[in-house]
Amino acid sequence: MMPPGNLARMVVANTLRSRRHFVLSAFGIVIGIATFVVFLASTEQVGTVLEKIFPVEQVSVIAPRASLLGKDISKKLDDAIVEKIRSRPEVDRADPTAVVPRMTLAFPAFGRGDFEGNDLKFEVGGFADGINPAYVSDDDRTRELFKDWDSMTSDPKRVACEPPPRDPQEEVIQSPPAPKGKASKPGVYYNPCTQPERYYCDEVDRTCHHRVPIVMSPTMIELYNGQFAKSHGLPIADTDFVKFVTQRGGLSAMRFSIGLGLTTIAGTNANISQRKVRRVEAVLVGISDKAMPIGMTMPIGYIQRWNREFLGEDAATAYSSIIVRLKDRNRIAVFSQWLQDELDLRLEDSLGEKFATALFVIRLVLVLISLVIITISSINIAHNFFMQVTERRRELGLLRAVGATQTDVLMVVLGEAALIGLIGGLLGVGLGVAIASGVDWGSVHYLPRFPYKPDSWFHFKWWIVLGGLACSTGFSVFGGYLPARRASTMEPAQALTQN
Amino acid sequence: MLDQGDVVGSARVSDISRSRVPAPIVRLRDVTKSYGLGAAKTQVLRGVSFDIDGGEFVALVGQSGSGKSTLLNIIGGLDQPDAGEVEVLGTDTLRSSDAKRAGIRNASIGFVFQAFNLLDHLTVLGNVILPASFAPGAKQVEARGREALRRVGLSDFANRRPGELSGGQKQRVAIARALFNAPTLLLCDEPTGNLDSETGKEVIDFFRELNAKDGVTLLIVTHERRVSSVAKRVIAMRDGMLVETTDEALAAAHGGGPT
Repeated sequence: MMPPGNLARMVVANTLRSRRHFVLSAFGIVIGIATFVVFLASTEQVGTVLEKIFPVEQVSVIAPRASLLGKDISKKLDDAIVEKIRSRPEVDRADPTAVVPRMTLAFPAFGRGDFEGNDLKFEVGGFADGINPAYVSDDDRTRELFKDWDSMTSDPKRVACEPPPRDPQEEVIQSPPAPKGKASKPGVYYNPCTQPERYYCDEVDRTCHHRVPIVMSPTMIELYNGQFAKSHGLPIADTDFVKFVTQRGGLSAMRFSIGLGLTTIAGTNANISQRKVRRVEAVLVGISDKAMPIGMTMPIGYIQRWNREFLGEDAATAYSSIIVRLKDRNRIAVFSQWLQDELDLRLEDSLGEKFATALFVIRLVLVLISLVIITISSINIAHNFFMQVTERRRELGLLRAVGATQTDVLMVVLGEAALIGLIGGLLGVGLGVAIASGVDWGSVHYLPRFPYKPDSWFHFKWWIVLGGLACSTGFSVFGGYLPARRASTMEPAQALTQN
Repeated sequence: MLDQGDVVGSARVSDISRSRVPAPIVRLRDVTKSYGLGAAKTQVLRGVSFDIDGGEFVALVGQSGSGKSTLLNIIGGLDQPDAGEVEVLGTDTLRSSDAKRAGIRNASIGFVFQAFNLLDHLTVLGNVILPASFAPGAKQVEARGREALRRVGLSDFANRRPGELSGGQKQRVAIARALFNAPTLLLCDEPTGNLDSETGKEVIDFFRELNAKDGVTLLIVTHERRVSSVAKRVIAMRDGMLVETTDEALAAAHGGGPT
């Protein structure tokens, strides 16, 4: 048996000496592998973007909608149900954020804030919910600020203060910090609390409270950038939220007021006592894909307290949905069946799952196309190697004469095929990366901005590159096998007499 | 060109040849071989039997198509007979594995062909040391290759390509390659067929010296009288059978071309 080092040297020398043969054999492999890795890398990246928009590893449990005489009589999602779900084998019990209930703000509220000199007014009721703050841990800043501050009675900054008088003309208004050495002016409500960008003076208990921390979803930012900013002449929000906030002058630019119990839709707050109507102040602290897609999300404690204050205990214990992260997305069917049979609940229709399925099919088709190209190139390799083995009969016969076994000759020819496949694969991956770079360049310079537009359309994960190389080598060896067998089994005596 | 006691690898040529060689070195019994099938079937060998002892210098002569090259290939393990017994260096090559036959070819048999069979993409030295590629644990490969080249008088040609050499030089490179592993048996198929008479004479003298001084067993297929005349024994073939080596048979054999 030929020593491996000698085999490697002979394979390299034989491959390098016939450039024409190499080019003819490797060309198809290069094209095939380039398409293979480009298709896989692009679908991988599209999948990543889709998962950002629709997280597919998690499901949302809701109660089927039911009503009687216009009243909602849907099953209540409460803590007992949360515990039952948490105990399911499909759920990772060790993960404290595997089961996260959400609660929507169940009464009217109205928001108002100053942004870039513009007086923004918007409905909050129906467009706000709360979740466990531990679930939102996208970055250090969010982790630091996205807390239920009102539940922390030990906050040293929570000191007594004198709230500004309510403006008779304005229902909700934010209170700017008092300029040094200047007295209050009529109609301007200065914030008497220290660190005014984070604290405000609550008009009910007359103490300084941390502003209600708010996170918004990337969808909101994309909607703002894609539609709102353009139509209202406002600046585009950077995807790097910290950078964006810094450019705007810090957190004070991100604060706004919420009028609890107020609304612009006349009459919809008729059942709320005017005595209860009050103002809180909030601050946008980050962007998170855990936030509700259209609206704002805050720590669930705020929503529970406000729902209890305005609507009663029932509203403070009824969740709007329960987000469940399963150990494995393949267990969705079992979990869904259990929900239906045991709890009379169901999973919210997931667009993400549909997109993921569509993407899977698209990926399958693209990979099949590239595999067809590689298979054709494998046949091309077989053809070229058959020709080459015929041309090299005398040489192969000589190798047998000086001591090569049939296996040695087989390994030499297969080794040449493998090397061509490996080099072709490397060139193919290189070509794929070059094509991807070109597409990305074109995307940056010529494609208009749109929601979730990625910086790159390709993600060349290590398994794609390794898979491409393994594929090219494997198919090349496959193509070279029959010629190699012919080479190894030819009678050396006849091979040596070839003209 | 070659002296008694010259060192090839770690052993003296004569020592290798004589110490490990069983007698006879080649033993053929009723060897038959045919090519083709049905009506196209051609019987090339018809029950050939003979022995070659260690240290012999044998010329195998015969007309073109008489089966002498086929017989040489069967002895060298490059071809297999249909029937009969073939024992080379104590190994039944008919029943031994491909690896075993390849091992014998690599370690104990050298081949010299009429067409030289050098690989143009390798240097002269690369051609000479080619057998080492298939020898596990081969040592001092380059030194042994250069020594083999020195013995055939081509020390200065180690880095040349075969395309830069004359016919005679090419054949000497082929001989150096055959001698690289200090073979016990040298099988030559028309080694002077492509050479002019002067160069051919040099090659024949070299073979004679190799046999006489180093005891290498030689079996040369030839149709040239000057080659067979230096052999110690001549085996004549006609139509796949051995014939008596009369003057008539030799004359007929030398009139034919290579088979």
